[in-house]
Amino acid sequence: MDKEKVFRQCTTFCILFAFWILLSGYLDAFHLIAGAVCSAIVTFLSYDLMITKHKRGGVFKLLRFTFYCGWLFIEILRAAFDVAYRVLHPHMPIDPQIVTFETPLSDDITRTVLANSITLTPGTITIDVDGGTYTVHALTSAAARDLMDDRTIEKRVTCIFQDAP
Amino acid sequence: MIALSNLLTVLLIGLGLFFMIAGPVGLIRLPDFYTRAHASGKCDTVGQALILLGFIIYEGFTFDAIKLLFLILFIYVLTPTATYAIVRAAYVLKYVPWKRGGERQ
Repeated sequence: MDKEKVFRQCTTFCILFAFWILLSGYLDAFHLIAGAVCSAIVTFLSYDLMITKHKRGGVFKLLRFTFYCGWLFIEILRAAFDVAYRVLHPHMPIDPQIVTFETPLSDDITRTVLANSITLTPGTITIDVDGGTYTVHALTSAAARDLMDDRTIEKRVTCIFQDAP
Repeated sequence: MIALSNLLTVLLIGLGLFFMIAGPVGLIRLPDFYTRAHASGKCDTVGQALILLGFIIYEGFTFDAIKLLFLILFIYVLTPTATYAIVRAAYVLKYVPWKRGGERQ
């Protein structure tokens, strides 16, 4: 048994058990033991899914990610207002188009975050991700231009997940 | 204090309901599959989140409030993923996107 594996199993077990307590809300012996047994079974089956690699700078990454979530929340509100405005407008000012672009991002998690962020920000949804090539459906030409030229989202996502020094 | 939190709750739930109504209206009015995915994907996410946020403020800091907070987080991860999955399915099946001036589908 190597140290890395034990560390991963322990962390996964603790997270799962904390989540169980949070969801059950009961603190008597029966529920705690049932939770511990269930967490142990799930840990045994899938400990290598939750924590894949032990990297440095995880705390900073988490902090940057939290800030990013705050920014994203405002963007999502803007997106919903934008769609609601276009839908309720009598003439429906939309001009949909499909655009493709390349990113140099290589990590799976980074790509997933970028794809989901594109879907949630104003006027764009991700259709397909193939390697580093993104196919995006834009509701207006302004949204498409934003994505292709400014690349704000891509810069921000790259900024979070770059490795800390 | 109670009046203020109640007011905020009503405000948030009202705003959430506005988005929840705008989503289906978009579903009916927009011309094709892809643009409809825009309406249901965004308006529903924000609508649900705002309504749940209203519940959290009404509930105060309890176990149930934390559960609702987790619900919001899960919705934020799952909605874009589900939208992506169905839109990609349409794209793979060569569904032609609507262009300006085209026929409604």
